[in-house]
Amino acid sequence: MEFSDITAFLPILLKGALITVQITIGALLLSTLLGLLLALMKLSPVRALSLTAGTFINVVRGLPIIVQLFYIYFVLPELGIQLSAFQASIIGLGVAYSAYQAENFRAGIEAIEAGQIEAARSIGMKSKLIMRRVVLPQAIRIALPPYGNTAVMILKDSSLASTITVAEMTRAGQLIAASTFQNTTVYTLVALLYLCLSLPLIFGVNRLERYFGKSAKGGKA
Amino acid sequence: MININAIHKSFGDVEVLKGVSLTVAKGEVVCLIGPSGSGKSTVLRCINGLESYDQGSITINDRQVDVASKDINDLRTQVGMVFQRFNLFPHRTVVENVMEGPIFVKNEPRETAHANAIALLEKVGLGDKVEAYPQQLSGGQQQRVAIARALAMQPEAILFDEPTSALDPELVGDVLIVMRDLANEGMTMVVVTHEMGFAKEVADRVCFLYGGQIVESGDAHTLLTQPTHERTQDFLRRVLNH
Ligand SMILES: Nc1ncnc2c1ncn2[C@@H]1O[C@H](COP(=O)(O)OP(=O)(O)OP(=O)(O)O)[C@@H](O)[C@H]1O
Ligand SMILES: [Mg+2]
Repeated sequence: MEFSDITAFLPILLKGALITVQITIGALLLSTLLGLLLALMKLSPVRALSLTAGTFINVVRGLPIIVQLFYIYFVLPELGIQLSAFQASIIGLGVAYSAYQAENFRAGIEAIEAGQIEAARSIGMKSKLIMRRVVLPQAIRIALPPYGNTAVMILKDSSLASTITVAEMTRAGQLIAASTFQNTTVYTLVALLYLCLSLPLIFGVNRLERYFGKSAKGGKA
Repeated sequence: MININAIHKSFGDVEVLKGVSLTVAKGEVVCLIGPSGSGKSTVLRCINGLESYDQGSITINDRQVDVASKDINDLRTQVGMVFQRFNLFPHRTVVENVMEGPIFVKNEPRETAHANAIALLEKVGLGDKVEAYPQQLSGGQQQRVAIARALAMQPEAILFDEPTSALDPELVGDVLIVMRDLANEGMTMVVVTHEMGFAKEVADRVCFLYGGQIVESGDAHTLLTQPTHERTQDFLRRVLNH
C-alpha cells in the first residue's frame, strides 16, 4: 500500500462519497415522506386506504431492492418515464425504504395508549390538536432510534446504485481497482470511508436510545 | 344539569344499555354501582361523548350530547372525566398536564394557566410535585393529578370511572379525600365505584346498574343498607364480604 496511491485515489473516492451522501439524504427524505403517508393510510379507518397501503408495503418489502432499482431504471423508460441513474437510485431506495419507515412510524403511533387519547378528548381537544400535542411528540421519540437505523441501512444500500451506473463511492472504487489492480488499497479505503459515514450515525442512534430510554422512566426530555 | 333519557347502546349485536335514564341535578353526587360488564363505564362514556348512543337522549344543561356534532368538544370542556388508569400524558410534567387543556383548548394565557394549575395541584396535595413526570409518582398521586387536570377546565360536572380501582389499598384514601372535598364544595359528580364506604358517606344517590338497566336507585343510605331488589341484595352481599 503506497502513500502516493492513497493520495491519488482519495479525491476520486471522495467525489464518490459525495454522491453516496446525496443519494442517502435524498432517499431518506423520500422514504420519510412516503413512509409517513403510508403509516397514516394504514391506520386510517377507511378500509380502501389501509388496504392499499398494506398491499404496497408488503409488495415492496417482498422485493429485493436491486430488482426495484433495475425496474425503475430499465423498465420505466419503456413506459415513457425517463430518469437519470442518479434519480432512479434515489427513487428506488426511497420507495423501498418507505415500507420500513411506514412500519416504524406506525409502531410509534400505535404505542400511544388509547386512554391518553380519550383523556385528551375528554378535556375537549380536537383530533388535530391531539395528533400534534399528544400522539406525535411521543411517536417521534419512539420512532427516532429505528429511524436512525434505517438511515444507516440506506447509507449502506446506496452502494446498490453502483449496479445502475451511478458513480457513487463503491462504483468509484470498482473503477479505480479495475484500472490499477490495487484491490487492497482501494477497497480498504472504500471500507474506511463508509465507516467514517456510518459510525457517527450509529453512535448517534445509540445515544438517542439511551436518552429516550431514560426519559421514558421520567428524566427531563 | 345532566339528563339521560332512556338511552340504548349496542356493540354489534349485543345491547349493553337497555334504556337507562338518570337525572343529575347541579351539585348532586350520584354513585353508579353494579357488577362488571353491567354498562357503568358505557353510561359515563356516553355522557361526555366518548361513545355514541343509539336511542334516547342525553342533555347537559339542555344541550344535546351528539358525538357527531361540532360543539361536542365544547360540551366536553363542561364535563370532566377521570379514568381508572389515570391516562396522564407521560411526556409532560405534572403541571404541564394540568395546563394543557386551559392553554390549548381554552386559549388561556400561559401565566394564568400556570398559576391556576399550581393552585389546583396544591389543593390536591401535590404542590411539591409540579415539575415531576407522571411516571415518578405513585398511582394515587397520578390520579390526583388527573383530577386537577379535569378541574383545570372549570367543568360543571366531573365523571369518575372507578378512580381508585387501580390503586394499592393504602393509596385509595388520599384520592377519596380529594373527591369528598370536591363533593362538599358542591361539584356535580357521577362516580362509578366499588368503594361502598365512600358511596354511603358522600353520595346523595346511588344507582344499581345490572345488565344494562338501572334496576334500583335511591338515597345512598337506604339503597346500601336496605336494598329491595334481589339483584342489588346479591351484589351488595358479594362486594361487602369480598
Ligand atoms: N368498545 C367496545 N366494543 C365492544 N363491546 C364493548 C365495548 N365496550 C364495552 N363493551 C361491552 O359492553 C358491556 C358493558 O361494558 P362496560 O365497560 O360499560 O361495563 P362496566 O360496568 O364498566 O364493567 P367493569 O366494572 O368491568 O368496568 C360489556 O359486556 C363489555 O364487554
Ligand atoms: Mg368499567
